[in-house]
Amino acid sequence: MLMAATVDERLAQAFVELADTLVAGYDLMEFLQTLTDRCVKLLEVDAAGLLLADSRGVLRVVAASTEQARVVELFQIQNDEGPCLDCYRTGQAVIVSDIRSDRAGERWPRFAAAAREMGYAGVHAIPMRLRDQVIGTLNLFKVVPDGLNPAVVVAATALVDVATIGILQERAVHQQEVVAAQLQVALNSRVIIEQAKGVLAERLRLSPDEAFVLLRRYARDHNHPLTELSGDVIRGTARISGGR
Amino acid sequence: MAGERTAQVWAWIAAAREGNAPVSLAMLCLAAAGWLGVDGASVTAVGGPAVSEPLSATDELAARLEELLFTTGEGPGVEGPGVEDFRFGSPVLIPDLAPVTARWPGFAPAAMAAGARALFAFPLQAGAIRAGVLSLYRAEPGPLTPQQLADALVFADIALQLLLDSHAGISASADYRPLDGLSDSRAEVYQATGMISVQLGVSLEEALVRLRAHAFAISTPLDDVADDVVSRTLRFHPDSDPDPDLNPQT
Repeated sequence: MLMAATVDERLAQAFVELADTLVAGYDLMEFLQTLTDRCVKLLEVDAAGLLLADSRGVLRVVAASTEQARVVELFQIQNDEGPCLDCYRTGQAVIVSDIRSDRAGERWPRFAAAAREMGYAGVHAIPMRLRDQVIGTLNLFKVVPDGLNPAVVVAATALVDVATIGILQERAVHQQEVVAAQLQVALNSRVIIEQAKGVLAERLRLSPDEAFVLLRRYARDHNHPLTELSGDVIRGTARISGGR
Repeated sequence: MAGERTAQVWAWIAAAREGNAPVSLAMLCLAAAGWLGVDGASVTAVGGPAVSEPLSATDELAARLEELLFTTGEGPGVEGPGVEDFRFGSPVLIPDLAPVTARWPGFAPAAMAAGARALFAFPLQAGAIRAGVLSLYRAEPGPLTPQQLADALVFADIALQLLLDSHAGISASADYRPLDGLSDSRAEVYQATGMISVQLGVSLEEALVRLRAHAFAISTPLDDVADDVVSRTLRFHPDSDPDPDLNPQT
């Protein structure tokens, strides 16, 4: 099982790196962003998105390995139909090795067409669970038609568990209301980042995607938590340059 | 489906309407008290870090609690447990005030003496925009059920929309519909809000007010207007004209 060993090794590395991020006062958005980036490398997929369910049961993207608007849309449109919604509702992983198949097309006609148009074939959704509650899903897209081998499913599940720990922090997670409150914080933090992308994009004449790349690079280079930096950008107290 | 809960909560609020009167925050508070298993509700606007303005309260006790928060500088969402998360959009839920009297020596005993035992505060918030707070109280201790909590978050979302739209002079008359959860909005709505705030040199809150007002004025879905702003086919101009010019890019 050469493949499994490789995945294990890389998984161990990713955990060390993520554990380093989970220090006191860590920035949740940076953490989840790093996690989706690692998913792409570790799970050998082309795009990864983490979606959390809000109080209405709407799945919302909180972090993605790409900010490309059309890919983010592809995560998000699964609120109508798609592997993510099925995964969220059933609490079971949904592995679709080829979304272009007739069966997938019949099951999710609109999502399958959109995914195909974007050039994706493999589409997988892993549930984020907290005991009997499903709080979100990890969505993985692959260009080549392919399932997920068992070692990769184990790795993906482990990463999703780490994401859950990161979101709920050290809180007494047996309380339902604490879970709801922490999810609200995560979802709202994402909105702050989107607002900051808009502010920066307009100031520097960039697209929101480009603004995000700049924002994230600045956060890393200056060791500045991403959510806090976004707040500073909105208030006009962070001076980020580097437009076109 | 997701939209059903918003529609249900909106129906509860609209049912509190008398005749053809526009839906107000007062009706929202009444409906919240009636459907969330609490005894009273209030909405307060937040104008800055220390300024808050009571907008509506179902009863004297609800109003008195707001006053106590202000005068003591303690209490849910003001200081103490959960206040950090509150600033990031999370509700503060206090199912029983009795165990937290030491934490809030000024607020808690006074609130209990006034007749409140459980308090729940929901920020009216969208990202960095903090427009106010929806507060609920109950005379008996005990948590909100998961269903009541989920519904309360929807109430808060609609309260934020009513508040923002009232700033733009849009009244919630018969044909008014809240969006299916302001917080469900696509990322583009928030990106556009950020862009407009720079175009107009105004706060994010004001930018979102203008964006929504424009969408209402031209009867176009908010998402579509936001897409036009992000793709730079629509710009807002800082003049007295409430409607932006259209600059189609050819």
